[in-house]
Amino acid sequence: MLEVANLSAGYGQIEVLHGLSFQVPKGKVVTLIGSNGAGKTTTMRALSGMIQPRAGSIRLAGREISGLDSHDVARAGLAHSPEGRRVFPTLSVEDNLTLGAFPRLTGSRPKGDVSADRERAYALFPRLKERRLQLAGTLSGGEQQMLAMGRALMLRPDILLLDEPSMGLAPKLVEEVFRIIRQLKEEQVTMLLVEQFAMAALGVADYAYVLENGRIRFQGPAARLKSDPAVRAAYLGGDH
Amino acid sequence: MTIFLQLVASGVAVGMIYAAIAFGYQLTFATSKTLNFGQGEALALGALFGLTLAPFTGYWLMIPLVLVFGFALGAVVERLGVRPAVKIKSEYGWIMATIALGIIFRNLAENIWGRDDLKFPSPLPEEALQLGGIRMLPMELLIIAGALLMMLAVEIFNRKSIWGKAVIATSNDIDAAGLMGINTKRVITLSYSISAMTAAFAGVLVAPVTLTGATMGAVLALKAFAVAIIGGLESGLGVIVGGLILGIAETLTGFYISTGYKDVPGLILLLVVLSIRPVGLFGKAVIKKV
Repeated sequence: MLEVANLSAGYGQIEVLHGLSFQVPKGKVVTLIGSNGAGKTTTMRALSGMIQPRAGSIRLAGREISGLDSHDVARAGLAHSPEGRRVFPTLSVEDNLTLGAFPRLTGSRPKGDVSADRERAYALFPRLKERRLQLAGTLSGGEQQMLAMGRALMLRPDILLLDEPSMGLAPKLVEEVFRIIRQLKEEQVTMLLVEQFAMAALGVADYAYVLENGRIRFQGPAARLKSDPAVRAAYLGGDH
Repeated sequence: MTIFLQLVASGVAVGMIYAAIAFGYQLTFATSKTLNFGQGEALALGALFGLTLAPFTGYWLMIPLVLVFGFALGAVVERLGVRPAVKIKSEYGWIMATIALGIIFRNLAENIWGRDDLKFPSPLPEEALQLGGIRMLPMELLIIAGALLMMLAVEIFNRKSIWGKAVIATSNDIDAAGLMGINTKRVITLSYSISAMTAAFAGVLVAPVTLTGATMGAVLALKAFAVAIIGGLESGLGVIVGGLILGIAETLTGFYISTGYKDVPGLILLLVVLSIRPVGLFGKAVIKKV
């Protein structure tokens, strides 16, 4: 579904990613793990067009999307639930969800049934249904995370990028987020997951890449990396 | 007391014009953190264009045409003046560019319509109405109603339509709006279009009670800028209250002190608000959740 080859990207003079290559097959969950500053969020931002890659290719369902603006990447079928959630604080929960379907409502993606999808998001995140008409800025951090994920799903994306969905959440809510990721996996949603809780990410993913200083250091089936002593010692910091 | 109420009533009409123009400043500031310093010229061009059309179409049918004209004018300003400056990350380039475009538009207007002020025929009777001892021109009532209706229409567009929601999303978080598939550049153009459209509309509202000419908008736009600062660049309600405060303060000063000092209260208010509440009377201090 997503094929990345020799991707380089950075900010200003500083190059953060030095030629990454990885794939996310259709219907699979792939995770990028690595310490802070390894380039996980930069990778996500380069994929979705929030920053422009300097070199390399990004193919989504066979189509080259590197170099496109973020709105064109979204229209091509990539949904990005960004780090820090980034919900629209002065719009209601319902409007936030509706905007997730913007390309479908304005004719650049097949329309389908937007209100049925909104109901599906409410079924997945019942808390959001209770707060349907509340402004997103008044939600708790956990609720905002649910909203960010629900909003990204409203695109009916070919691939869903989740950047640090558990960041800053209480342990109970972290479990809830992973429960939902598992449920989406069962529904065959293709996902690329970046997580600080590396063990939990490896528990849900099919395949994993370990990033170090903007390069891929290890890769393999998630279950194998999870039990690899070298990976555990260096990147998983014991027993998260 | 009657004189006082009379002055307040006249101030309200003037104030609503300030509010309508200030509302236009807010629209572009929300999406792009930039302003069109040529709003006064958009107002004057709208009025002059309307003046030319009116003999053929009549006053009422002319209004939608002026709205379309203002809409197109705003898009031109954004594409020529603002987008290139923002693209090269010039922090203040858009200020110079919008002022320059304003001057060009003013000169263009002087070449087409001449330098003399023109009389804009009033679509309503010019006899004042007696409302419980207060005299008001029908045109002044039209200004109040028209300005309120226009702001209401834009608010409804923003709240109810998908493009309006895209405008609010872009104001909230431009990067996240891009991730939703919203072409934020086009949204910024749209906000400039709506902004210039409100100014052009304000032009045809105010023209019958003032004189019409290429420079008619300059002072109005400057005072509306003060209103936008007083009311807060982020708050729709703020510009109405700010406009009314300024309009009323001016008519009161003009009567009780001297018409020579009529323009002083606006500037004093601006200084006071900036020193006490820099976000404006109704501005919200931004709270970011991490």
